[in-house]
Amino acid sequence: MSGVRHSAAVLAAVALLATGCGTSASQGDPNAPLEVWTRSLEDTAKVYEKIFSDFTAKTGIKIDYKPVYNDFDKRMQERAASKDLPDLVITDVSALGVYQSQGMVGEIDRAGFAGGADLVERAWNNAKGADGRYYAVPVSTQAQATFIRKDWREKLGKPVPTTWAELVDLAKAFTTGDPDGNGQSDTYGMLVPGSTDRGYLAWWAASYIWQAGGDILAEEGGKYRVAVDSPGTVSAVEWLRGMFCDTKIVQPGALTTITNDAHTFFEQGKAGIYLTGPYMMGRFDKAPGKDRYEVIASPKGPNGSTVLGEGENMYLMAGSARPSDQKKLAEFMVSPDAQKAGMQGVPRPVVRLPVNSKVDVSAVYSDPRWNTVAKVYADSARPFPNVPNFQPFRQQTAETLNALFARCGTDVRAELGKLAANLNKELKAQGIAK
Amino acid sequence: MTTLATKDVDPTASGGGAVGLHPVRRRHRRRLTGPLAPWLFLAPALLIFLLFKYIPMAEGIRLSLFNVRPFLGDLWVGLDNYVTVLTDERFQSALGRTLVLAFGQTAGAMVLGFALALLLEGSARSLWFVRSAVFLPVVAATAVVGEIWRLLYFPADEGFLNSVLSWFGIGAQPFLDSPDTALWSVMGVGVWKGAPYDMVIILAGLAGIDRQLYESSAIDGATTLQRLRHVTLPALRPVITILLTLAAIRGLRVFTEVYVLTGGGPAGSTDVWMTRVFSLGFERNELGVASAGSVVLFLVTLLLTLLVQYYRRRKEAM
Repeated sequence: MSGVRHSAAVLAAVALLATGCGTSASQGDPNAPLEVWTRSLEDTAKVYEKIFSDFTAKTGIKIDYKPVYNDFDKRMQERAASKDLPDLVITDVSALGVYQSQGMVGEIDRAGFAGGADLVERAWNNAKGADGRYYAVPVSTQAQATFIRKDWREKLGKPVPTTWAELVDLAKAFTTGDPDGNGQSDTYGMLVPGSTDRGYLAWWAASYIWQAGGDILAEEGGKYRVAVDSPGTVSAVEWLRGMFCDTKIVQPGALTTITNDAHTFFEQGKAGIYLTGPYMMGRFDKAPGKDRYEVIASPKGPNGSTVLGEGENMYLMAGSARPSDQKKLAEFMVSPDAQKAGMQGVPRPVVRLPVNSKVDVSAVYSDPRWNTVAKVYADSARPFPNVPNFQPFRQQTAETLNALFARCGTDVRAELGKLAANLNKELKAQGIAK
Repeated sequence: MTTLATKDVDPTASGGGAVGLHPVRRRHRRRLTGPLAPWLFLAPALLIFLLFKYIPMAEGIRLSLFNVRPFLGDLWVGLDNYVTVLTDERFQSALGRTLVLAFGQTAGAMVLGFALALLLEGSARSLWFVRSAVFLPVVAATAVVGEIWRLLYFPADEGFLNSVLSWFGIGAQPFLDSPDTALWSVMGVGVWKGAPYDMVIILAGLAGIDRQLYESSAIDGATTLQRLRHVTLPALRPVITILLTLAAIRGLRVFTEVYVLTGGGPAGSTDVWMTRVFSLGFERNELGVASAGSVVLFLVTLLLTLLVQYYRRRKEAM
């Protein structure tokens, strides 16, 4: 009997201790420095560090800065589960739906936001929720561009591709023509981050789907319908599958490659065509080298050259003890000075295209490649739809595409039909089905 | 009270202090060996277990009954999450793959571990060195092992394994890149990583076998294979049971290798139970459903362990 009583006592004591340890002080404490996370690798973290120290020098508000790259979303979810979020977070526009639907961010008062009037409308659109209200502050925008190994292309005597057919032709030449001249067939045309992790593959494929007149979801008067089984999407997916199954111009292991692994293929001269964000220029200028590659607008598909244009938002996370300081930092991030500092970051800019209309892209960068990106953004970039939470759509689309590209014998139309049924369920669950 | 009082008075009364101190000292000793003592020793470990195991487990079970929304308040959904998990087609196919992977890795690691143990049994110094080298995969971090194997498995001619295969005239294999071979490739890594562990346990078992049994069976004219079959294996039965139980549990909750090697792809061909749970929890933010998946895995593991225990007890009783 006494054994039982003692064990109960010990357990109770331990439980008391445990609950005592369980509450973390960082977010609730108004005197602790602002905890800021950005989805960054080491190189861009240095750029943010400088911007934040400028902010501290200007306002006296201290910042506890943490760059997180691997598993950023997962670690945010862990912090959310323990109800102890960082004060501010800079990450992809695509996080908006999740953060909003889970109550992790509050509404932003656009009218009361200092300097808000200087921000371009399309940038604000990146921070708009499905209900038309704003839940974040845009800090950077961008459009995807096509990176091509210029030296390889010139060696093989090919023109700069302007159509899909020319793109495939160039990719074939890169795969079979030994463009690096080492006598081995160890180079590839298209570089595809085809992993389903975070829905990467859908991110990459979306631009090509739009270029064929297809879509994942189509908007009609504030409601959405599934367009992933539309003729345009089917033809785009069949065309993309040809790269994996028929012409085999994609780098090996593409379907399990995450973006960060994909970059190294371009860097090390293994693959020559890469549709990716312009922020990669800083890294690729070092290797393969600035004069060895070119940045062009995406070659035209049957329905134009639309590409994904998104960016990064600053999220003011819920539960912070210092809402006014949160707002101050966000206002600072979009100010012309901070925007310029972000664009001039070495080796990579953290602000790609400025959100502030007072900042002149060509004056700050004095790099014609960035003018190309700015022009692509202005002419032919579009974001993913502002549904409450686009993540499940992106994830499921990536999974289906991954399966289609892995199993060459399957029926594209039928598989996309199955995907459409699942996406339809998700649309209904989110209450936005047409 | 009265007895105590008389005892306290006793020493001075008798005039012999030394005798009178005994009961007091004995009482102290009794307190140290009393029922609280083991708990005091256990307390640090219990505290850590409670904090990092039992409380999270209880929390996981609680979350499995809710639609989890940390900042909007959780919604009670009862057993809905369990229904979602058990009726989900992808969970079912993940379960099949998990079983294949668990079975393959367990069997492969056991056979290879047994072979290694037979080869490396003995007390020579060189063997000690080789055994340590062979054991390295077990202590290497799984994430690192995964990244290295991704390089070894590179699915083109210039990949390491493929260039080795080309010496034998075998063409480039896709390994992790094809839905038909990805699961087997993951299994290969699991066997490579698990076999040395099995080897060490089997080595310990081998050391416990009476040498005379080998000698007498040799005198009786048994061949090496027969000695293996009729002396070594029966003597190793308890070791093998333990290994099977451990390996089956390890096999069912396999995660890191798969996540690092393939992330569940291509075409979901390596999507196992835990990668499914992980992807639901942290990619689709369905923490409730993910918790339910974990609880189901826990129950299956518990059931499996109990079954093996029961089977073993019955065998031993016979």
